[in-house]
Amino acid sequence: MKDQVGGNHKRARFQALCQSLRPDLLRFAFWLSRDRALAEDVVQETMLRAWKAQDSLLDEAAVKPWFLTIIRREYARSFERKRFATVDIDELVAQEEPMLAAAEEQNLAELRAALFRLPDEYREPLVLQVLMGFSTAEIARELGLTGAAVLTRLFRARKQLRVLCGEDTSLDPPE
Amino acid sequence: MIDCTRYRQAMLAQPHDADPALREHRESCRDCNLFTERLLRFESGLERALRVALPDAAGEVVPLRARSPPRRRSFRTGWQAWAAGVLMALMVAGGLWLGVPGSSLAADVATHMQEEPQAWRRTDLPVPSAALQSVLRDSHLRLAAGLGIVSYANSCGFRGHKVPHLVIQTESGPVTVMVLVHEHARKPVQFDEQGYRGVIVPVAGHGSLAVLTQGPDTDLGTIEQIAHRVQGAIVWTQEPS
Repeated sequence: MKDQVGGNHKRARFQALCQSLRPDLLRFAFWLSRDRALAEDVVQETMLRAWKAQDSLLDEAAVKPWFLTIIRREYARSFERKRFATVDIDELVAQEEPMLAAAEEQNLAELRAALFRLPDEYREPLVLQVLMGFSTAEIARELGLTGAAVLTRLFRARKQLRVLCGEDTSLDPPE
Repeated sequence: MIDCTRYRQAMLAQPHDADPALREHRESCRDCNLFTERLLRFESGLERALRVALPDAAGEVVPLRARSPPRRRSFRTGWQAWAAGVLMALMVAGGLWLGVPGSSLAADVATHMQEEPQAWRRTDLPVPSAALQSVLRDSHLRLAAGLGIVSYANSCGFRGHKVPHLVIQTESGPVTVMVLVHEHARKPVQFDEQGYRGVIVPVAGHGSLAVLTQGPDTDLGTIEQIAHRVQGAIVWTQEPS
């Protein structure tokens, strides 16, 4: 009886955790894959794996990085399962147009299309920093990079993004 | 001493970096101040751009998922079936949730400001003490003396909670403070949104505090100083969560 109550409590906690994190995880997976359907698949698979492996989550404060690590692995696995064709960015942008469009602001749609055009190595740390609120050290840990390498990538990401968006870059520093 | 190139490189990597050396440089350099303002505006757009609203109704989930080849799974045990149930619930709940356009905390604060424009007037008339106490009491806090005239106090609905919305008359004009006990910020964030400029600062155990001004006249350094003053003046009457 006591075990059952404990089990129910654990399930409820896990469910609440998943529910609160799922929107951001979906967004992260979307920006990682630039494919909404694939993002849905990856997050669904991630939730299942997380449920099975929940005992390995020792610190609940670290739950976000824990989920993100599973998402990144699961995304990498999707490459093993399928052989993807060469990516045509214009095609990707057209395919995900409903996701990228922001009726309220044309600028946002352009910014989203520009994000699609950023190389993965720049887009991913940027998404981790801006969307997920990760510190440089956390990004470095997640991506297996040094702190300096992360900062360089973040710098280049914004620099390229600003050019792609036609921002006034007259005051931007050289590389 | 940091130079302009180093400053801008650092800011492009971490626009919300609160390093005092960076702040010192920004305050002494007009071009870098201008650069920062443009960058923060861009950053605010970037944050909103990343928070895509998945235009998903619950019913759409199935056809979308059908795009990928179905995977065979056998649900032999109770917990697996339960996990699948949770997932289905999350798909539905998440789909509905994501149908609402996503926005950042700063954007939501700025949007809320537009609902109460009358709060921004310059005045030397304080809000009646009883009204102020009532607003503060609901959120388990009080304000120490010396903060300045509180000219507006209201318990506002914000992201599903009642939060104190105060306006304090400062030497820089009216400054709005929203005490966001339910919004946890990991680090201080500066923002420039919809004509409002301000900061969101974490408050240990009590969520966060949004402090903002209207228009471009007050620099972010001054707003940060005001935020620290406000933070110092808040006396919590309930233990941190």
